[in-house]
Amino acid sequence: MTETAVETTGPGDDDGPASGAARRSRRDLALLVMPGAVLVLLLLALSTRNPDLLSPDSLLAIADSAAPLMVLAIGVTVVILCGGIDLSIAALAALSSVLFAMWIPLFGAAAAVPVIAVAALAGAVQGLVHVKAKVNSFIVTLGGLALWSGIALVISGARTVPVSDVDAIRWAFTTVAGLPSAVLIALGAVVVLGSVLRLTPAGRWVRAVGHAEQAARLAGIPVGAVKVAAFTTSGACAGLAGVLLVARTFSGAPSLGATLLLPAVAAVVVGGTAITGGFGGIGRTVIGALIVIVLRVGLSLIGVDAGFESIIYGVLIIGAVAVTIDRTKLDVLK
Amino acid sequence: MSNHAPIAPDASRSTAPVLAVRGLTKRYPGVLALDGMVLEVRPREVVGLIGENGAGKSTLLKSLVGLAQPDSGSIVVRGEEVRLRGVAHAASVGIGMVFQEQSLVPNISVAENILLGAEGAGVRGGLFRWHRMAELAQVQLDKIGSAVSPRARTDSLTFAQRQMVEVAKVLALEERTAHEPVVLLDEPTSVLEREEVETLFAQVRRLRERASVVFVSHRLDEVLEISDRVYVLRNGRVVAEVDPAEVDATDLHHLLVGRESTGSHYHDDAQQEPAGDVRLSVRELQTAGCDKVSFEIRSGEVLGVAGVQGSGREELCRALFGAMPGARGQVLLDGRPLRLDSPRAAVLAGVGYVPSERRTEGVVSSMSVTENLSMAHVGTVCRGPLIDGRRERELVDTWVRRLGIRTPSGDTAIGTLSGGNQQKVVLARWMVSEGLRLLILDHPTRGLDVGAKSEVYELIRELAASGCAVLLLSDTLEEALAMSHRVLVMKDGRITACLDAPRGGKPDPVAIMEAMV
Repeated sequence: MTETAVETTGPGDDDGPASGAARRSRRDLALLVMPGAVLVLLLLALSTRNPDLLSPDSLLAIADSAAPLMVLAIGVTVVILCGGIDLSIAALAALSSVLFAMWIPLFGAAAAVPVIAVAALAGAVQGLVHVKAKVNSFIVTLGGLALWSGIALVISGARTVPVSDVDAIRWAFTTVAGLPSAVLIALGAVVVLGSVLRLTPAGRWVRAVGHAEQAARLAGIPVGAVKVAAFTTSGACAGLAGVLLVARTFSGAPSLGATLLLPAVAAVVVGGTAITGGFGGIGRTVIGALIVIVLRVGLSLIGVDAGFESIIYGVLIIGAVAVTIDRTKLDVLK
Repeated sequence: MSNHAPIAPDASRSTAPVLAVRGLTKRYPGVLALDGMVLEVRPREVVGLIGENGAGKSTLLKSLVGLAQPDSGSIVVRGEEVRLRGVAHAASVGIGMVFQEQSLVPNISVAENILLGAEGAGVRGGLFRWHRMAELAQVQLDKIGSAVSPRARTDSLTFAQRQMVEVAKVLALEERTAHEPVVLLDEPTSVLEREEVETLFAQVRRLRERASVVFVSHRLDEVLEISDRVYVLRNGRVVAEVDPAEVDATDLHHLLVGRESTGSHYHDDAQQEPAGDVRLSVRELQTAGCDKVSFEIRSGEVLGVAGVQGSGREELCRALFGAMPGARGQVLLDGRPLRLDSPRAAVLAGVGYVPSERRTEGVVSSMSVTENLSMAHVGTVCRGPLIDGRRERELVDTWVRRLGIRTPSGDTAIGTLSGGNQQKVVLARWMVSEGLRLLILDHPTRGLDVGAKSEVYELIRELAASGCAVLLLSDTLEEALAMSHRVLVMKDGRITACLDAPRGGKPDPVAIMEAMV
């Protein structure tokens, strides 16, 4: 118990860097292990109810249904790592689903490409407004949320747009070597984004900006460009998520996004990425997204009313942030 | 709380201390900020505290108002040991501080600020009684004879006026605690004009009629002028207690710097004559706080910039690094125009910048030593688009060895290192680039211990010898003189003097001081 003794005699808010860092590294370790442990425990607990849950088929089905959410969540992870937030992702995914369904007659299977490009552009515009006009990312993307869902409603006539040619989207709901293609696509996105964040200077810059923006700027890191790139990435991921959603429902729907924002943000914070920026990563969000989906599956398994889902997301987000937040970095809470 | 009777004016030389500090020790990682500090403050006296940066002044003050918790030792107020939990607790025992960076709320009235948190009769039924508030505040303002209106909005006052309001606020402790308060003044003169300093001193002398004052400053002449007794602090200890009547500034200076104030500390022998061409040419640089500044630095030259706070020298540094929005002027680096609107562009042009706020602006403290070291020039360890982990480790190992950076490993979070080692990483961040042409050092030795300072000086000498131009802002005049080939003096955003400082022919500090203030 020497460690605890040192801590309690230690200073209060005037913490020296090392004791703070020691505490932080213990926290980091806990944050590394905890989400995985939660996921495993959750699966084990649910398997007592339904032993079939742990069969390969059912696990693949869970992964398949998690794919759109996972893609959406890894995108917003990049923005959150920069210290920002993107609330527009779900609305942008809904708009993308509508655009995809409408453009299939024009472009066929290739319609996914312009859809993702448009979504990336929308993200880039939000990033530019955030950086150039110096408007909070919270506000810019809250405005974006209204804007993109509005556009989706207008161009779809507020109706679901059915896919005219199911063959054109078959690539997104087929199986390859026994694995659902949506899972493979999501994994591809995870590997690409994860590699960029882990192996390239850009990934370094994202974390530096999230941890200490001013220090990053004064080290010559192009802070503005990093942020715009993060929002562009988030937009592109929302576009891809929209495409994957169409492949699940065979239609584009302007309302599709309404129920996706909360679970996506929940996936990020439950995975252990700090909402204050800098700390976390794509792998954590993958675990977080799986937790959210398994929870959803579990709730229907034990017969909980769907209305409770939202309640659980709300509690989950607040609880996860309360557990993960690095209070040594907080001076003023707004 | 105390059995002592209120002290009569003629007892002002009483030796029973109102405040005693006994063996106070406070350790931060890598730094022993307070090392068995012992001192006392008697009724109605002005105690001066002097010491260089890192001597322990600010940690001591923080401890006295409960903002830092000492590791050991005790604080005794009027004979009773106290363990201060915060500013409010310190106030309740009669200790108040006038903060250097000021702590008033700008958008409310003077009266509200003075009575903040202790409105008393100024509030009834949850509502302000503005007349009563103004009267109560006026009582405090009258104590120091201030002409400031209690109804004035605080942000409409000058800095000096706001400082007086803070003093009045602290004096309100008198009624609240039924004791004469102890007023801590933390570097109160650092941003004041000379005549404002005079006014402040008149106030301090008035204060002595009703309170004890602890006056902290790094300006020796001021401390000697105002104090009844002076403690000299060095490395977290009191190294001398002196009577201002018996010493002069030179004596204090020797006490302050100790024996380290010799040539080898600054590596004087390593100062070489700059042989290169003009590296940086600045013509009519204009930015907030900096008015049409023109100068040149040659390759291999260390140019010191001296000036008090508000002289514009910090802004000058930032503007050259592209970190002052709106900076204008013609700046040529090796004959090529330097953009003034982006730190990124400055870095790519071969400029490096070591900011004075190391913990918030210099390092990303949660990231590793490796990541911090390669941060500015990570491109040099990339293979294609990816960071080559092995090359990066080699680079970091090389610099860790070369600069003697003491770290458990490259993966250690930089925030856990001592200040000196953090600073060496920040210096290495720029030195890794072979294209480094100009290094801007804003107080590079701030908060470092003596040994670490000397190592930083050695690095600066090496950099200059390799042909890099160095712009140096120093904490002390002594450092600026010792390290520089030339010293520019700035005052109110303009250059007021430029003196050559060759090896063995350093100018008189007095001449520089005259141009500074």
